[in-house]
Amino acid sequence: MRILLEDEDGSIASPCASVVDSNMEERERDTGDVNPSSTSSDCKATAPTSSSSAPSVPEHGADSTRAASGDLGDKLDVCSDNFDPLLALYSPTVPLPFPNIKCFNNVSEYESFLRGGRGRAKPENVEKRQRKAMKGVADPERIERLKKLMVRNPVPEAEGESSSSTPRRRKQKPPKNVLTRMPLCKGGPLGELHRCVEERIRVKVHIRTFKGLRGVCSGFIVAFDKFWNMAMVDVDETYRELLLGEALYHEKALTVSRLFEKLKIQESPEGDEQAKKHKAKGKASCPQSADPSPVSKEGSSKRGDNRTESRLSGDSVRGEQEKQGASLKARGPETGGRKHSQAYGKVHTRHVNQLFIRGENVILINPQPL
Amino acid sequence: MESAENQTPEPELVAGFSSIRERTIAENSLVILLQGLQGQVTTVDLRDESTARGHVVNVDAFMNIRLKKVLHRDRRGRLTQLEDLFVTGRNVRYVHIPDHMDIMETIQGQLAKSHRVRNFAGGRKEYAKKKS
Repeated sequence: MRILLEDEDGSIASPCASVVDSNMEERERDTGDVNPSSTSSDCKATAPTSSSSAPSVPEHGADSTRAASGDLGDKLDVCSDNFDPLLALYSPTVPLPFPNIKCFNNVSEYESFLRGGRGRAKPENVEKRQRKAMKGVADPERIERLKKLMVRNPVPEAEGESSSSTPRRRKQKPPKNVLTRMPLCKGGPLGELHRCVEERIRVKVHIRTFKGLRGVCSGFIVAFDKFWNMAMVDVDETYRELLLGEALYHEKALTVSRLFEKLKIQESPEGDEQAKKHKAKGKASCPQSADPSPVSKEGSSKRGDNRTESRLSGDSVRGEQEKQGASLKARGPETGGRKHSQAYGKVHTRHVNQLFIRGENVILINPQPL
Repeated sequence: MESAENQTPEPELVAGFSSIRERTIAENSLVILLQGLQGQVTTVDLRDESTARGHVVNVDAFMNIRLKKVLHRDRRGRLTQLEDLFVTGRNVRYVHIPDHMDIMETIQGQLAKSHRVRNFAGGRKEYAKKKS
């Protein structure tokens, strides 16, 4: 169109060209001008592209005199009766009644949308899109709902509400605590200990002092852990208190015997207890002296045999003796006995109903054979 | 154990009690039984053959025991009255458990408390927690 106009620039009168030029804009402008529109009809022939719009132009030209701006708005209003689609198509500013409306390129697209194709505004999709948009935002309602689902919730709810009804979350593993770990040690020494717990076997626990044996705790184990910490009931503790000076003195002289003592403890754990008993009875089977060390070894094996048989009697004898004297002095009339008793320190016994022992102090545990 | 005690203390997640690490250590050992004794009057026999009798204020995962209103009897039998006594875990030999306390029940009670706190602490930090 422009090219044509340029050709005509020289020959045709300028107003005509200008009118054709502004043919497009004529619709928007308040066409109060009659002259340009009338002259435009002359230029119709020279402007074939505008032929389609040409017949309407004079009509509009005629109407334009009557047309006010409001009327134009009415023509552009989609919902009005005077809607002029052609006008609307060429107008850059057409007010849409629903600005956020979905646009389609053709009717068939609209049809497929209506039928429920992809992207159809179903109620679920709309909600989904909304939820996505609100993703990061904290929803107090949601927090409230989650709080209500809490398994054990002492603050808003009453304590002691059963948690068994609440469904187990997938991440909830079986709890691992000291009680569940007790039966886990099967197959090892702690498994044996667990057996003592289950079968309520009376055990003797050897307690250590900074060096050597302190005493023996006899009782039933209720609970234990991997450190050999133990909770025991009905405990009879027999222990002796070593005087520090004496121990130091004997330490130098009795290195070898100490080894034997340890061996003896390994072989027959009651060696020391028996030693005290035998000492009191006059036998010089004191493990601290070097001489009877081979004897004590023999004796220990013998004692080991006798242990099971005469344990009860031995215990009762010892118990009686100790209850009477509460100290070795009472049962040390022999000179040898007295010397050893002073070297050992006093032996005490006591009964504690419930005792907790720190595992660090345990030398060994000897389950009492049935 | 001493090295564990000397490690840098971990931030407290729970108001007034220990870190998760300490709680796990306690839960998996018999220290939890001792923690159930908090508030009771007991006797603690120490490694050096002395004894301390008093109220247990608290026990931590490493068996460090805090006592108050203590009667301390040393190895020779000399008595001392003390307002506060702190015993390192390693120095404990025995802890006498009061006769009226059931051992299993105490352990289970403590585990339940700790479990409640743990489930709670899984994200609901706005609630104040108490363990002891």
